[in-house]
Amino acid sequence: MARSFALVLLALASLASLAAFLGSPGAPWLAACGGATFPVALIALGAVRQGRFGGLGVPLALLWLLLAGGLAAVLTLPAGGPDVAGLPLATALMIFVLVPVPLLGLGLLYAFSFGRLGIREEDLERMRRLRRSGEACQGDQ
Amino acid sequence: MMPLLGRPLIVVSTLVYFAACLGLGVWALRRTRSAHDFWVARQGLGVVVTGLATMAAAFSGFVFLGGPGLTYRIGLSSLFINLSIGFTPALLAWALAKRLRLLAEVREVYTIPDAFLARYGSRAASGAAAVAILAGVVGYLGAQLLAMGTLLQAVLGVTLPAAVGIGLAVLLFYSVAGGMMAGVYTDVFQGVLMVLAAVAVFGYAMAAGGGFSRVIHSIAASPRFGRPFLEPLGKTPALTAFGFFFVFGIGVLGQPHMLNKFYMIRDPRRLRWLPLVLGLSQTLCLLIWLGLGLAVPALVAKGKLAPLARPDDAAPAFLLGFAPEPLAGLAVAAILAAIMSTADSFMNLGAAVLVRDLPRALRRKVGNELLWGRLATAGVAAAAAALALGYNDLIALLGTFAFGTFGAALAPALAVGLNWRRVTAAAATASVVTGTALNLGLEFLARQTFFPALPKPPLPPGALPTAVSLAASFAVLLAVTAWTGRREPPLPEDISAVMEA
Repeated sequence: MARSFALVLLALASLASLAAFLGSPGAPWLAACGGATFPVALIALGAVRQGRFGGLGVPLALLWLLLAGGLAAVLTLPAGGPDVAGLPLATALMIFVLVPVPLLGLGLLYAFSFGRLGIREEDLERMRRLRRSGEACQGDQ
Repeated sequence: MMPLLGRPLIVVSTLVYFAACLGLGVWALRRTRSAHDFWVARQGLGVVVTGLATMAAAFSGFVFLGGPGLTYRIGLSSLFINLSIGFTPALLAWALAKRLRLLAEVREVYTIPDAFLARYGSRAASGAAAVAILAGVVGYLGAQLLAMGTLLQAVLGVTLPAAVGIGLAVLLFYSVAGGMMAGVYTDVFQGVLMVLAAVAVFGYAMAAGGGFSRVIHSIAASPRFGRPFLEPLGKTPALTAFGFFFVFGIGVLGQPHMLNKFYMIRDPRRLRWLPLVLGLSQTLCLLIWLGLGLAVPALVAKGKLAPLARPDDAAPAFLLGFAPEPLAGLAVAAILAAIMSTADSFMNLGAAVLVRDLPRALRRKVGNELLWGRLATAGVAAAAAALALGYNDLIALLGTFAFGTFGAALAPALAVGLNWRRVTAAAATASVVTGTALNLGLEFLARQTFFPALPKPPLPPGALPTAVSLAASFAVLLAVTAWTGRREPPLPEDISAVMEA
């Protein structure tokens, strides 16, 4: 179910991006939606384990909101919006929010969920066993 | 760039940098005894080494020279190229790093086409990936050699062919002798140098402009640049800006010079820290883009620097006109490091395509991979240098869209195919062929000036050909999978285990 959801998102993002860059009506909005959805769908697809997101659903939804909100701000705020610390609001969002927040948030999330969603000792043991059996088969041949 | 012979510290820092690279080459030569050592550095790297080497291979001289120049030309909308840096390290880790490293645990995979062969069991898919890599390598490597030659020509005051020859001799020495073992450890040295120089130049550039707030104020108040320079889109079409974001954010999943580093990490469990190490080193390195991209226009706005005739002179103009000589020396060494760390990765990749990937796709096996790998590395570098010197316009053109070619050709089949069992070999091959052919064709038509009669591609204003190719490649993969993969294709048990983990 989780994998299917990620794949549907990925298919929608592909079509939205293709339509946008081929110049369909509302192209910038389609490009923004596709651009925000692509990384979320691919991270979700890579993180699915035994058909579940394993607690990543909410962080990924937040990532989508952050990216989509940031790109929407770029499109909707006239001339980038009012000044914040001397920079237009949308530019300040890009530099001070859209880069550091996902960088640290996703980096820490990956590190601290690695024991559950990354590589476990039993995964490694299974890989080593399979490698040994593969080498044994080659030896027999 | 003006000749730098009169700047002894810059020449000295260049020579010291070369000496360090040669020393690392000698060190690696003593440790390179097999093809395993030569192609994947004996799979003995820690996570910090892997992260720094990945960053150094990914960031070419463009970050140090082209980025500030592009910002001078189009304003802060250039940052859309870097905006995805917030999520790309985690995206790489979740979508690919784990699968690729586990693949190396169960199979003898050294290259990205090896991963195609293992996952899809298809020589066509693997061969198509190898051809796409070779096409990108020619452009990327040639462009790096040209950039290295241009910089060394200015530093050492020699002709361009001699400058390319000197730089190539250093590159060849450590790459041929030590293969990826030398490549990775020189990448780490080069990566550290790049981060140090980027942080130091950023700090100095902000100080030279009177601090961040005054830099921003000077630009906004200037009639030449004005507030539009600081706006997120400025004069850049939204489709171009979002195209940058898409291509650099998703295309990163197809960059073989970054991905093959994931095979080399010693303990797969150390991948836990990869996104943070990679992301932080990349962010620090990009400070030079932001720092010079803001400081140079601010200095021009204040009348302290003459307006630039060529935007690409932004970094050299600041380093030679404002930075103290030791800092300029460090920065020149870092620029060389950025160029050479990318070039050595491509020499290794090109050699692997010729010695390992294409022969395997054609059901051939090369006997002594270590020897032939060394010869092929020299051959690839010499061919790229000859092409770069003989057809520099064409090579520079190819270099500009090599990133997109890799992304469009390889990202879908790797990122989706390693995480979804239903993707078939036919779908992967169709995606690789679509991405490669569409990107090369559209980019060439969009940028070429060699054949005036050829039409421009039928794309809307501002749309990047690479963005179209990348989106089309994903769409083709999904469509052909839906068409051909109604049932999950049977997978070997070990590949199944890698994809389930």
